[in-house]
Amino acid sequence: MNEQISALADNEIALEDAEHLMAAMQPNSPSAEAWSQYHLIGDVMRGTQTLSPSFKQNLMAKIDREPTVLAPNAVLVSQTKAHTFSADMHGKIPVAWSIAASFAAVMVVGWVVLQTQVTDNMKPMLAEAVTGQQASTLVTAEAIPAEYLMAHQASAPSTSSYYIQSASYSE
Amino acid sequence: MPTVEMTFFTNAAMKCRCFLFTFLLASATFSVQAASDEDAWQILQKAAVAAHALSYQGIFICQSGQQSKPVQIRHLFNGQFEFSRNVVLDGSPREVLSQGRDVVIYNPKNEKIVIEKRRGQNMFPAILPTDLDSIKASYLVRMGDAERVADRQAQVLFLEGKDKLRYSYKFWVDTEYGLLLKSVMYNNQNEMIDSIAFNQLGLINNIDLDWFKPKIDGKKHYVMEDEVSAVADNHASPHWRLKELPVGYVKVDQMMRTVRGKSLPVTHLIFSDGLASVSLFIEPIENGVKPRIGHSVVGNTSFHSSVAGYLQITVLGEVPEAAVAQIANAVVFIK
Repeated sequence: MNEQISALADNEIALEDAEHLMAAMQPNSPSAEAWSQYHLIGDVMRGTQTLSPSFKQNLMAKIDREPTVLAPNAVLVSQTKAHTFSADMHGKIPVAWSIAASFAAVMVVGWVVLQTQVTDNMKPMLAEAVTGQQASTLVTAEAIPAEYLMAHQASAPSTSSYYIQSASYSE
Repeated sequence: MPTVEMTFFTNAAMKCRCFLFTFLLASATFSVQAASDEDAWQILQKAAVAAHALSYQGIFICQSGQQSKPVQIRHLFNGQFEFSRNVVLDGSPREVLSQGRDVVIYNPKNEKIVIEKRRGQNMFPAILPTDLDSIKASYLVRMGDAERVADRQAQVLFLEGKDKLRYSYKFWVDTEYGLLLKSVMYNNQNEMIDSIAFNQLGLINNIDLDWFKPKIDGKKHYVMEDEVSAVADNHASPHWRLKELPVGYVKVDQMMRTVRGKSLPVTHLIFSDGLASVSLFIEPIENGVKPRIGHSVVGNTSFHSSVAGYLQITVLGEVPEAAVAQIANAVVFIK
């Protein structure tokens, strides 16, 4: 299950094949936690800037602290300003900026290589955390459930089932 | 010079004759093979009909997994209807009475005798359908040797699945009566998983029906099995559809049924390849119920549980694991 969640986070499973995962990832379920953890792990591996664990809470708190805007005109004004700014800048990015961009790209590649080396040590730790969670969301059924076997034998009996009852039947 | 020419002609003629011979031999072998296959299907066809159309009695041994039971059978065809009574001889005296497709089982359980109703299908020796077309599509037949079973001469036939999605069978067919005397089922590792075989068999001429009743035990209560209601259901569901099924399997039935321990009715579909049956159960995952995922094989039965969207999928049948898995994966959840 968690392997599949991991694969989904890495875009290795098509969305239409992942409906069972969606069903399992109810809010606050261990699978949902696994989902966000895999994203976090993926972000770290790819060197993407990660958000702090309490990012969502901090953001919501900051939004709460924001004064309520009672003057909709202000929004219009700022939109006009933004438009003028982008028109001015169009086609005029300084040469120095593109050099900075390629330098940043080299840095990212280096960071990714570094992180990939680190993750091998992280794996056992992760596996442990993940298996612990799985048990509480899904029931791993290893036996043939008797109630379905009875229904099957009632409508589509096999040759031996008329005389021999399977061990799964509860008497 | 003439000698060279002679040699040339002789060689050419020999080559030609040789080629012709090979060709004739090949085509003869081919037609013998085809005839043999056709003969084998004919024998199976005859066995399928004989099981319904003859009147016979005997004892057969039914073996599945670790269990083995001797069963006494009496089967009568009076020219219009079929009746049979099968009594398990060892242990609990279970009785199976059938009239055409209707089967009633008298199943002793502690101080009670539970009366269970079943749909009659592939009851030994009538395990083959009378229309063999579906079987011909999924199985290959091969003629074996002549052998002796239950003091009767029998022709051995092998019925092998064309793929790994079904089990294989070995049949012994009575060369005189045409009846199936013995049937053994093998899994894909060629291990025997089920066997059912006469060790005594004779035809009967008497068409009396005084034997067609269960042996009543006056000291016990007779009760009907808990109502396992099932209602035919042929409506397309807005919640799921079926994509490609495993090769050879077709849907033979669909119903809504109550399953013990479930508050909501469950959709029950039955698939068959002509010999083996598979059940597919589809139900919504109830609130607070943990979805079930897993698979297993016990004896001849494979089982597969999975989740599609908000639906719990359960598939089981007397087929290899790959077949139940493919049927489970054929269910597509519709958002």
